[in-house]
Amino acid sequence: MTQFIRFFYILVSFSALALTAQSAYAIDSQNLPDINPKYVSMKSIDPVRLVGYTVGDVIEREVILTVKAPYKLIETSLPIPGYEKRHKGQVIGIELKSIQHTKKVDDNSTTHHIKLAYQVFTNNIVAKNAALGPEYLNLVNLKNNQDVVKFRIPTVDIAISPIAIFGQVKIENNMSPFLGPLPLKNDKEENWLKLSLSFLILSTLGLLYILGMRAWLPRMGGTFAKVYRALRKQEKSTQGLKESVALVHTGLSTTANFTVFSNNLEQFLALKPNFIGLRLELEQFFNLSRRINFEPKYLDPAASFDTDVNAQLWVIKFARRCRDCERGLIPEKLATTSMKPGL
Amino acid sequence: MIDRQLADWRNHALNLESEVNKVVVGQQNPIRLITTSIFARGHVLLEGDVGVGKTTLLRAFTRGIGGGYQRIEGTIDLMPNDLVYHTYLGEDGKPHVSPGPLLMSGENLSVFFFNEINRARPQVHSLLLRVMAERSLSAFNTEHYFPHMIVFADRNQVEKEETFEIPSAARDRFMMEIPIVVPNDNDIMEALVFDTKFHNVDALVNNVKPDVLQFDELNAFSSVLQNSVDTSDTLKKYALNLWKATKAPLDYGVKVSGVDMNRLVLSGASPRGMSMMLRAARVNAWLNERTAVLPEDIHAVFHATVAHRLVFSPVYEMRRTEIAREMLNGIMNAVAAP
Repeated sequence: MTQFIRFFYILVSFSALALTAQSAYAIDSQNLPDINPKYVSMKSIDPVRLVGYTVGDVIEREVILTVKAPYKLIETSLPIPGYEKRHKGQVIGIELKSIQHTKKVDDNSTTHHIKLAYQVFTNNIVAKNAALGPEYLNLVNLKNNQDVVKFRIPTVDIAISPIAIFGQVKIENNMSPFLGPLPLKNDKEENWLKLSLSFLILSTLGLLYILGMRAWLPRMGGTFAKVYRALRKQEKSTQGLKESVALVHTGLSTTANFTVFSNNLEQFLALKPNFIGLRLELEQFFNLSRRINFEPKYLDPAASFDTDVNAQLWVIKFARRCRDCERGLIPEKLATTSMKPGL
Repeated sequence: MIDRQLADWRNHALNLESEVNKVVVGQQNPIRLITTSIFARGHVLLEGDVGVGKTTLLRAFTRGIGGGYQRIEGTIDLMPNDLVYHTYLGEDGKPHVSPGPLLMSGENLSVFFFNEINRARPQVHSLLLRVMAERSLSAFNTEHYFPHMIVFADRNQVEKEETFEIPSAARDRFMMEIPIVVPNDNDIMEALVFDTKFHNVDALVNNVKPDVLQFDELNAFSSVLQNSVDTSDTLKKYALNLWKATKAPLDYGVKVSGVDMNRLVLSGASPRGMSMMLRAARVNAWLNERTAVLPEDIHAVFHATVAHRLVFSPVYEMRRTEIAREMLNGIMNAVAAP
């Protein structure tokens, strides 16, 4: 019996102690002093839409709270789902539906991610103002247990809209400073934007395709793409001209899959109609080759070069036009058939 | 001076071509090749079906070249001595010997026309080999020379009975073997059938202006011509590659459909054949007013100067014309210049 009394006494003592401790934190948060702002910083991601909510809607906001040492969030002070919010004693009809809390502890601070989802449980025949929050969080100084302060998560003002307009409503009464501008349809602009961006991307790719020096796109590794790259690396000299002409000959033969000469040029053009636009230049190239490789005395009556370097520059330009033909592009028409490389 | 000489002779050559083209229609390419052969001083073998105008073509050229002209018909009983002399009993009852067609014109012999050469025996071919190669003949204890002679011969491609295949050594003596085919042009075909001027060959050939060329100056001019037309290093390399390709076409990726290329070629073009090809290419360059040989000049004479020199495995000999054509086309397509 004595033992039972002793056990009861101990139980009562611990209960008293527990209640005392609990009462220390269960104090009304609103009456606590505010935390020094230098110990806390807050960012919130509030809903973009602030109007037009009605009964049943769920509104989410996220609060990112960073608490610096020596303060620490008392997590039991986090808002409790289902807790009714009141304003001037009246139930405002917006309840916290759920809360998700995660935290990341650093050496000198703790960052809390608090996702709050509120649900609307009210309705009216006219639009009425409402607010999400405020929420009060308690923080304790770890160096001094008696130093308990509060932090207020500010409200987000919203407007509750009626499900259906009941009766005649005076517009003046329904005016709300929170009513956002009516959203405009921007489908057309978005389409134009997409179209323009597509065009820009394609044009950029096309330009890179044309000017590209590396075979990183389909058909960029074509014969004349390689020939053109090789020609640009050739030394500008008489020997370089001879080698350049030989490279173009190789390119033509590889493209045709047979050796192309001036006497089977028509056969080549029939096989590769992409090159038809270059007929005149092909003839000029064979005339140049004739002079370089076989008949030094020969002078093309249609065109001649001042120097071998100029001839070599023309061959490079010609190879580039062959590359364009190879890629299915139509090379620009030359105003004249001048062999000067600059034209 | 040389330039003027070259230009004058070119005019003569083109004039001869023009004259022959008047009487033999639709054969521009063979006529160009024969003209080339005349100026390259090479013998010509024509090959084609019956009645396509081979003999007419050669007779027309013969008239234009001028000089002594002799003709013999190839027959199975023709013997070599028939070319040199023939014997007969004279009015005095004594045997007489008179010169045969080879000796009749002496040194002025410019054209020896051997009609249907493949009907002659190999013994005759053998004699002809020497005459063609050396342009000389020993007879009656004398050496006879024919410095201006060109042998024109033709053979029937289709008929094989009572004929003797010309051995490859004999074929090699000919600079060109030129195929003669009936023109495809409807107008020309109609004219050949309905135009009465083609009915009398003798009268037709007489329309060719005689002696357009001076036959006894052709050798000297040919030498000038050959020395005047250059061949660049690039072209020499190209010609050598062509030659190698005739010996080993597979090395150049040349294939002929339905033919085992490893077995096809027993012997490619001979050095003499390639030399003749270059001579002919030089003439072609000159006829086209060029001062140097281009690959296109070689192409113009490649088939005519090389095809008949190739020696194929016997199993492919029956199809030699089409195989040679396809193989040489493949070689020209495969060998690059430069």
